[in-house]
Amino acid sequence: MGAVAKKELRQYFHSPVAYVCIGVLMALFGFFYTQVFLSGSSSNISYVYSNMFVWCMLVIPILTMRTLSEERRSKTDQALLTAPVSTIGIVGGKFIGSFCVYAVAMTLSLIPSVVLTFVGKPNWGMIFGDYLGALFFGMAMTAIGIFVSSLTENPIVAAIGSLGISIFLMVIDSIATAVNNAVLSKIVSWISFSTRYKQFTSGIFDIPAVVFFVSITAAMLFLTSRRLESRRWN
Amino acid sequence: MIEVSHLTKRYGPNTALVDVSFSVEGSGVVGFLGPNGAGKSTTMNIITGYLSATSGTVNVEGHDILDDADAAKKSIGYLPELPPLYMDMTVEEYLGFMYDLKKVKKSKKEHIGQICRRTGIDHVYTRLIGNLSKGYRQRVGLAQALLGDPPVLILDEPTVGLDPKQIIEIRNLIKTLGKTHTVILSSHILQEIEVTCGRIIIINNGRVVADGTQEELAKTVEQPRLLVEIEGPKEKVAGTLKALPHVGSGELMAEAEPGVWEFSLDEKADARREVFQMCKDNDWTLLSMSGRHNTLEDIFLRLTSGTVDDRMASDQGHDKKDTRKVIASAVGLTKPQTDDELSREPKAEAEKSPETDAQASVKEEN
Repeated sequence: MGAVAKKELRQYFHSPVAYVCIGVLMALFGFFYTQVFLSGSSSNISYVYSNMFVWCMLVIPILTMRTLSEERRSKTDQALLTAPVSTIGIVGGKFIGSFCVYAVAMTLSLIPSVVLTFVGKPNWGMIFGDYLGALFFGMAMTAIGIFVSSLTENPIVAAIGSLGISIFLMVIDSIATAVNNAVLSKIVSWISFSTRYKQFTSGIFDIPAVVFFVSITAAMLFLTSRRLESRRWN
Repeated sequence: MIEVSHLTKRYGPNTALVDVSFSVEGSGVVGFLGPNGAGKSTTMNIITGYLSATSGTVNVEGHDILDDADAAKKSIGYLPELPPLYMDMTVEEYLGFMYDLKKVKKSKKEHIGQICRRTGIDHVYTRLIGNLSKGYRQRVGLAQALLGDPPVLILDEPTVGLDPKQIIEIRNLIKTLGKTHTVILSSHILQEIEVTCGRIIIINNGRVVADGTQEELAKTVEQPRLLVEIEGPKEKVAGTLKALPHVGSGELMAEAEPGVWEFSLDEKADARREVFQMCKDNDWTLLSMSGRHNTLEDIFLRLTSGTVDDRMASDQGHDKKDTRKVIASAVGLTKPQTDDELSREPKAEAEKSPETDAQASVKEEN
């Protein structure tokens, strides 16, 4: 698992992918931070993160699109699958690699808040809630992206597929309000990422939400490893 | 040690492998030969655990490739048809990654350095794989297979894309490796198999059609024949030749020069001395005598695509065959033969798979 993760990270940072993704996220963070600072309210940093939720959900599919599809296309998966590593190990390594790039971006996003401590008193409890929440939903979305990437040989198809899923997960709230059926709307809001994330942005460390995101991640990684296994049979 | 038993692989309605069994013990190079789409790569992919068979088992060094996958995979070095290289990595990074991936427990720098020298890639060590020529990429792929010094090496067409000098180097390397490793080598190049492999497995339409040393295979395909050119009276020479105790049957091939007759003899035992003695006694001139041994090419063509004679007949048209028949029966050398007998259906033809369309339907694994 370690070898694959190391390789993934090296590939991300040897190509422009990681820099572009992190750079775009940083620029957007900068924009929303500026808005908050101009309004003169350092306590409203959650505004930054709740806006960034959308952008993060859109950038992650770009990070994960080539993880497994590219290996399949260039036949390098032969090296991985014939090495003494389990498919869980391969998928785990891929996940750690992609997630680390995202985590680096999120960690860098804390810089403006750190700077803020010299001139004001930001609410660090809330900021950490935002940060952790962003890591948790990012984790789940990364796992989903890797799973979609394992379904195809074409990175573009993988990107569009997981973008579709991520957009669906974002707009699902408006569907929930539109549906009349109480049970259905409950189910829909249950899988909503933004509802879960909102708990974090209001400074609450929501255990059910953590369990939810971690479960999604585990389930997706498991499905991906089964998917790699199943390829051997056809 | 590799033990492959009763492998069958189906892709949907298509069958790629049918009951393939063989086992390789001890060190040595085994050649894996077959036409395109015969199932060579599929078999290799199954042995290395990249694909799974529909039924059948693979055991490598005592470890089942499915039940004890990690141990089995650890003892295999695999160079697939297309080397699994990351174009955006340098050779150094790539081999370092593969070293970690294979969990090799040797001194990293020393081990990789040694393999690079063996495969001749030490001077491109710091270059990007994407910028290397095909020959070098192939060698990096081979280096990757050698990492961890696995006892079993599976090499799928290792010399593709190399220049003649590199081919010789890699062949020599494979031969050297064969002294200490079990090597399975697939190739289209018959000459390569001929010079590197002690044992040959021929696969066609997903079935093993022959397995043995080249000499053994040659015998199963056809008895060795003796070709002689004798100057003398045609009927008398033919009659005397046929009467020789070690000659089974003979055939007049052609009139090589005016008054010189070329015969092809089926030998029961070594008949060379008898033929010479016969010419001496009768005062005929023996102009040439040569043994006709089956080359690997003959064997391969016979086992995989009908018969050599069929091909020759279709190349040369039927005229020559008819002439041969007429001359042969005219001189009374052979019993009157039917056309079928002359073109000699080999044994392999009878064993040929009933599903002749299997080859066409064999799907490459992708």
